[in-house]
Amino acid sequence: MKKSSFRNNPALVGLLASFTAIFLGLVFGFFMLGIFNPSFAGAGIVKILTKGLSSKEKFAKVLYQAAPLMMTGLSVGFAMKTGLFNIGGSGQYLIGTFCALLFGVVLKLPWYVCLLAAMLGGAFWGIFPGLFKALFNVNEVITAIMFNWIGLFLVNLAFSNTPTVLANYYGASVADRTANIEAANPSAVIPKLGMDKLFNSSYMNISFFVAMLVAATIYIIIDKTVFGYELKACGFNQKASIYAGINAKRNVVISMMIAGALAGLGGGIYYLCGTAQYTIEKVLPAMGFNGIPVALLANSNPIGIIFSALFISYIQVGGEALQPEYAKEIVDIIIACIIYLSALSVLMKGLITGLLREKGGNQKEVIEEAPLEETK
Amino acid sequence: MIILADILGSTILFGVPLLLVALGGMFAERSGIINLALEGIMITGALFGCLFLRNANLVGWGEVHPQLAMLVAILLAGFVGALFSILLSIAAINLKANQTISGTALNQFAPAFAVVFSWAIQGRGQTTINIPSWIRITTANFGFAPSANPGFWETFIFKSFYLTTPVALILFIASYVILYKTRLGLRLRACGEHPQAAASVGVNVYKMRYIGTTISGFLGGIGGLAFTIAAGSSFQSTVAGYGFLALAVMIFGNWKPVSIFFAANFFAFFKVISSYSSNIPFLPKFENIKSSSYIYQCIPYVVTMLVLIFTSKRSQAPLAEGQPYDKGQR
Amino acid sequence: MEENIIEMRHITKVFPGLVANDDVTIQLRRGEIHALLGENGAGKSTLMNVLFGLYTPEKGEIRKNGKTVVIKDPNDATALGIGMVHQHFQLVHNFTVLQNIILGAETVKGGFLQLAQARKKVADLSEKYGLKVNLDALIDDITVGMQQRVEILKMLYRDNEVLIFDEPTAMLTPQEINELMQIMKDLVAEGKSILFISHKLNEIMAVADRCTVLRKGKCIGTVNTAETTKEELSEMMVGRKVEFVVAKEDANPTDTVLEIKDLSVAGRRSTKKSVHDVSFKVHKGEIVCIAGIDGNGQSELVYALTGIMPAESGEIIFKDRDITKETIRNRNLDGIAHIPEDRHEYGLVLDYTLAENLVLKKYFMKDFQNRGFIDFPAVRKYADRLIEKYDIRSSQGALSVARSMSGGNQQKAIVAREIDYDPDLLIAVQPTRGMDVGAIEYIHRQIVKERDEGKAILLISLELDEVMNLSDRILVMFEGGIVGELDPKQTTVQELGLYMSGAKRNDMREAE
Repeated sequence: MKKSSFRNNPALVGLLASFTAIFLGLVFGFFMLGIFNPSFAGAGIVKILTKGLSSKEKFAKVLYQAAPLMMTGLSVGFAMKTGLFNIGGSGQYLIGTFCALLFGVVLKLPWYVCLLAAMLGGAFWGIFPGLFKALFNVNEVITAIMFNWIGLFLVNLAFSNTPTVLANYYGASVADRTANIEAANPSAVIPKLGMDKLFNSSYMNISFFVAMLVAATIYIIIDKTVFGYELKACGFNQKASIYAGINAKRNVVISMMIAGALAGLGGGIYYLCGTAQYTIEKVLPAMGFNGIPVALLANSNPIGIIFSALFISYIQVGGEALQPEYAKEIVDIIIACIIYLSALSVLMKGLITGLLREKGGNQKEVIEEAPLEETK
Repeated sequence: MIILADILGSTILFGVPLLLVALGGMFAERSGIINLALEGIMITGALFGCLFLRNANLVGWGEVHPQLAMLVAILLAGFVGALFSILLSIAAINLKANQTISGTALNQFAPAFAVVFSWAIQGRGQTTINIPSWIRITTANFGFAPSANPGFWETFIFKSFYLTTPVALILFIASYVILYKTRLGLRLRACGEHPQAAASVGVNVYKMRYIGTTISGFLGGIGGLAFTIAAGSSFQSTVAGYGFLALAVMIFGNWKPVSIFFAANFFAFFKVISSYSSNIPFLPKFENIKSSSYIYQCIPYVVTMLVLIFTSKRSQAPLAEGQPYDKGQR
Repeated sequence: MEENIIEMRHITKVFPGLVANDDVTIQLRRGEIHALLGENGAGKSTLMNVLFGLYTPEKGEIRKNGKTVVIKDPNDATALGIGMVHQHFQLVHNFTVLQNIILGAETVKGGFLQLAQARKKVADLSEKYGLKVNLDALIDDITVGMQQRVEILKMLYRDNEVLIFDEPTAMLTPQEINELMQIMKDLVAEGKSILFISHKLNEIMAVADRCTVLRKGKCIGTVNTAETTKEELSEMMVGRKVEFVVAKEDANPTDTVLEIKDLSVAGRRSTKKSVHDVSFKVHKGEIVCIAGIDGNGQSELVYALTGIMPAESGEIIFKDRDITKETIRNRNLDGIAHIPEDRHEYGLVLDYTLAENLVLKKYFMKDFQNRGFIDFPAVRKYADRLIEKYDIRSSQGALSVARSMSGGNQQKAIVAREIDYDPDLLIAVQPTRGMDVGAIEYIHRQIVKERDEGKAILLISLELDEVMNLSDRILVMFEGGIVGELDPKQTTVQELGLYMSGAKRNDMREAE
């Protein structure tokens, strides 16, 4: 590709659009801080922007949260490449969590087997939106939402009825959460390889690197393989893919299954760190939904998702430091704002392409779009 | 018998928000916009409705004029919902954004905003907004004292009777009339099916779609308040997926008001069955299973899926829903 | 009184990268039928959309009765008495005829629809102009001909005096076209003025008083039809002399490639079958053309043949093998190529590059993959070869995104892909839709060349000229069935029309 035509580079335009969305989102967040508690607004925005790098421990926390976020982000992004919107990350994440803890705490298996179980669990839950779409033409968004709730209730029911997974079985006083995994089965804890000492934080382990490896794999699948070619064809134009002989229905199911596996793996990674215990609750885990902004910010590009997951995790760590002057949910408002702006990507990309075009200024475009039918 | 009256009364109580929100979804989709933001719209409507009731209670005015306060709260919830829906309209109509994603953004925004806002209003850490108990319509409002041992009708009507129910009934009838008997309805429906055709005879598609989503925001906001009242005595920045259930109700109701009316009550009935499961004699109790209430909590969602399997194949969604309309393109 | 009821002066309309109208001037006299002639993409529809207020021109002015007017939207046009029948009917499919007619011009009392008054007015108009319609029928349930009458009634209901017809005959049978011509003459006799967009010279010669010719957005000139000839008009339209017939030898059909027995296909929206009990054969070395008015089951027949839609009953025998239940992929591999009717809907993945589109049916073959990974250099090499061989033009060659290419080159890409597939049977559905004369000639030559190499060709076309020129055998479809088999050398367009409208039929089995 020639240098002069870099304005045509969709990756660059997408990147600029994402940065614009982040910038405007932060400006809006600052505005919100100013409205709700003006005297702390300045300090607040500084906290959001710097807390994640303020110490080794905080940075370890950023990496720790980024790993599962990256997985749910990849889940949403992968489905998006196939033209599907996977809003069922929460349910898949929960089923993955359940499988990981069942294998780790009850069956006492090592961590990599537990992660595999988490993937399979998530994949199983991801089948449903795909299957309902392929067989009954039910919108995957509605199915995914319904299965988020069904998943939540089933997981709660299953944990409540598996006494050997709960904390009180291992001597704790409470029964509303799962056992401390370090106590129950140390082999199920994701290895730390000494990094916990390096970062002086028990949050630090290899999960971030595992997640990066998964992202790279997904990138290769989407961009380099025959399977990826088919999936993208379905996503861009399902009718044309059917015409070409691609089994679009099967691809819808497989794509949602893989998306589910990724989200399930996210649940496994988070709860096998040894620092988190699953609490039986009546609300869906935010981690599932937060995969959406991660994917959108990165334009569903798997490599981009590594960075957007880091960013979202980073401002969330900053957000926690906002309390008690503000509710930490103010960071969620910023994230919502970024999603909203990402939805306007057509507009943003148009504006950015326009700006670049003015600078680049060449006339090639006319030849490109004007009818070329020749009358020799 | 009393338990039956109780269940039927509660069915209506939970049917009201589903009906209102599904009608809201219908107006948006009939005009061509998929309103996935209904969940968020419900939350914003409920937030402001509940805050108003709380403040009316604090200053003492509410207790003196309970139903007037309630009416204001309802209108406020609707107004805020409509206002909030404009964010969707701008993205989906003017800027031709992806409607699913912009709807999702609003759904992310609303609960976070509700927490931050109620925290800011009520002081640090307090994110639950309590709803005063005087909003309930009692026998006293009709000039007689409650019976010591209420019968079927008294239980059915007065156990959980709120102003939202008659308001919803009026809005339901109005929705039907607007959609089928007025110029607005005819034009709105045309925009959802074939916006180019509507534009070619001078109908302003953008305006119709704005009206569609704004009505949907209004109904969604009121629905949010109605849900919060039905679900308990306080607002906790969530409506538990009812916005999405309402979308399923709308699909089940085939985008038609009367069918939506029955679909909403059908779903509400299952919801109520699930929460009354322990009191209903003939339902299995699963006594050797812990926390067996989770089984029943799944029911509304499972039923939704079953119903969608059977209705989606022959559903007649508006042809142009979800497609941005561009004046220049044809 | 001013002689010109409408005058469009020096209109220029620019789209990104394209000047659709370049300083065009046109005058419509009161009480005349004025034809607007030009090829696809010459800017006829753009000009009329400007007059109707759907587009705002960059330059120029519009005068009505000598006074300059501004038309910002269709409401302004309606207020000035300008109405338009669009090429693609602008009707809401699940509304009744009456609802469609009043939409946008409703009689209301306090916002409530007053249907009784409207019903009377429409009934009167329908009587006066002989436009028979059923006011309470849904658009979904009525014929294309009646839909067009609804469109005309829409204009009359608004008391329009300037009527624009945009390619009104594209969907009609020759008989229905004659009817329409009569209606247009009646309308003019009643004092209306008509602008008639067409690229069909016969119709223009038959009905128009004057004709303005557009070419590539520019106005070439206005002539009186009484003082000109078809040949002169076509030269003005294309800019050179045009051969009306593709030169081709007689066909030399040999073995049967495709045999269809009693094939039926379910309807897409209604319970009525869209194809019922169709049987025919296609042989090596012949072009069999399925003629018919759009929507008589041709699309569904093709979908069933290619596997996009399932057959309800009957058999499809391809090279002596029953493929009725085969997957699309296996049919392709077996040797069926398919140029689809809508290149954007089925033919291309617009967001893929040209190279990726050229291997759309081959990407999985061992030439293009290596253990599950796409062999990009091989794809690129293959694409470059096709681009050169079929002269596909784009800004960045194989790496151009398909969306950025012109329609003609997109179509060439599809034709290249399907022909290079080296099929035994080529199914070509409206392969020249929306293309200009040069590109049409090119594609016709390619199809004849394939036939001469011994391929079997099944051509589905709505253009009678194409049907008559290209085919060796004509099958006519009407309401899902085949109603006749004709020899293009021994039939006339008029006879073909009778079959297409269902007025005439011969029994297929006897003819075989």
